[in-house]
Amino acid sequence: MTAITIEKVVRVFIAGITFIIIGLLVSIFSIMFIKGFPAFHDDFLFAESKDFGRAGGVFYQSAGTLILMTTAVLLSLPVALGSVLFQTEYLASGKFKTLLTQLTYLLNATPTILFGLVGYLFFGVYLDTGVSWVTGSMILAVMILPTLQVSLREAVEALPQKYREAGMALGLSRSSQIRRVILPQCFYGIVTGVLLGLARAAGETAAIMFTATTFSGIQFPQSFSDPVPTLQTHILILAQEAAHPESIAQAWGSGLVLLGLVFILTLMAWLIRTRVVMESEL
Amino acid sequence: MNFSIGNYFRSTFSATRNWEPLGWVFAGMNLIFLVFAVGLAIFLLVESIPIVRLEGFEFWWGEDWWVGETYGALPMIWGSFIVTGLAVILVLPIALSGALFTSEYLSPPFRRRVKGVMELLAGVPGIIYGLLGVSLLTTGIKDAFNLLDGNTLFTAGCLLAIMILPTVLTLSEDALHSVPSEFREAAEGLGLTKLQTAWRVVLPQSLSGIAGAMLLGIGRAMGETIAVMLVIGSLDRVSGFNLFVSGQTIPSKLGREAAEALGSGEHWSALMGLGLTLFLMVAVLTIFGNIFKHWSNR
Repeated sequence: MTAITIEKVVRVFIAGITFIIIGLLVSIFSIMFIKGFPAFHDDFLFAESKDFGRAGGVFYQSAGTLILMTTAVLLSLPVALGSVLFQTEYLASGKFKTLLTQLTYLLNATPTILFGLVGYLFFGVYLDTGVSWVTGSMILAVMILPTLQVSLREAVEALPQKYREAGMALGLSRSSQIRRVILPQCFYGIVTGVLLGLARAAGETAAIMFTATTFSGIQFPQSFSDPVPTLQTHILILAQEAAHPESIAQAWGSGLVLLGLVFILTLMAWLIRTRVVMESEL
Repeated sequence: MNFSIGNYFRSTFSATRNWEPLGWVFAGMNLIFLVFAVGLAIFLLVESIPIVRLEGFEFWWGEDWWVGETYGALPMIWGSFIVTGLAVILVLPIALSGALFTSEYLSPPFRRRVKGVMELLAGVPGIIYGLLGVSLLTTGIKDAFNLLDGNTLFTAGCLLAIMILPTVLTLSEDALHSVPSEFREAAEGLGLTKLQTAWRVVLPQSLSGIAGAMLLGIGRAMGETIAVMLVIGSLDRVSGFNLFVSGQTIPSKLGREAAEALGSGEHWSALMGLGLTLFLMVAVLTIFGNIFKHWSNR
């Protein structure tokens, strides 16, 4: 009798905790919406920021974030795809493969600020790109490399064995196997990886705040050595100006834009992945 | 038979002679990845040599950090341990309850939805947590505990607990879920209730996976920069176990000072020394986390 009561109490208790955790997502999103929405006047998304970010919109900041994240993925994708295909298609040694996988996990867990520090020294000082959007993109490219690699490897390894066997039976060489069988079949997996990489790059602040960005007074980069304003650093600076309520309001608005961007990218990755799973179950 | 480097190479890289140009391109890409991964650690090591030469091992024990005079990393190391420790204590019971309920009580479609919510939560940028922390959590904690300043180690710990919750929950749920269903069926066949099965059979079976999830979560918490930087108060001092004072963690220190020291000098080297310390701590946590996780998957 008491055992059953305890059972019920515990079940209700942990169910409650689970609902609170799920409520966390809902509350984060609603707080961002309630606080951020008032900043959305006529053309928040398409106006320049004015008065040190206290007024105006976030057009160039959004553009900066988009420039950094797309360049990062464009730089990172070939390296990630190449190394994953090398590891899955060419490499036979299990030990070396395990080592590379562990290295990927390690790189994935490395604090992002360290990518900023080391990346600035390597790209900014030794390759002489300075504090610029190029430096930032390259740093982000290295940072999202493990994200891309993990999802690409999942996609390649999830490929049913029969596809490979069919290719081999037709006498395809390794490279035609890759071009004709593996890449087309993994297309949606690659898209998922790209979207997750974009989302991760878009949400990153620490690695770019002192290597690639500037606060205000700059528009599109005119050359490779110009820094860009980004949403992330915009929020970072405005959030610390507690004395100016209008700064905080603008920070909430920019935060809502950034969160929306990251959520849309993640949700798109999700939808595509579910589609892939459904196809492979056919 | 006769072992030679050539044979070893051939067995490592299958059919080396049959590689087409594409294979070499891919090998090159892999090499780029390898260079960046290993290069990161080597750079941190090389760049922190000057400060260790200057300060000796006092660098890790010193309590004072005055730019241009003396560099002691203890306040930052201590702060990192306190803050992550607090985050772990706060997150462990909550994440475990959530994982237990999701894995043992929810039907597969709902389980997938909870996992989806966790993935979305894990993707929320650190700066968003920072913004929420700096404008809501700090004032909330200031009022709740009657403090003069809401930027404390406690605030940072709470924020980190929220941030690592999805990681810890989803990984420990994976560990619980990977326990074969035969175990559950056998236990229930012996007359154990669902809770007893979960507590006495499933949980002990997945302990190593849960430990792995915790270690990986701690690793994430230790490296978080932006959110912590905004709410911790940035004061370098060893504060004992008093949680309601301002402090500093390694990443928050790096975030605050990297822009001033950029690129050269002993201040930069001191920051790289801090970075190396952080990297080693996170690396150890990650490696052990993955080992535990791997054990649980077998």
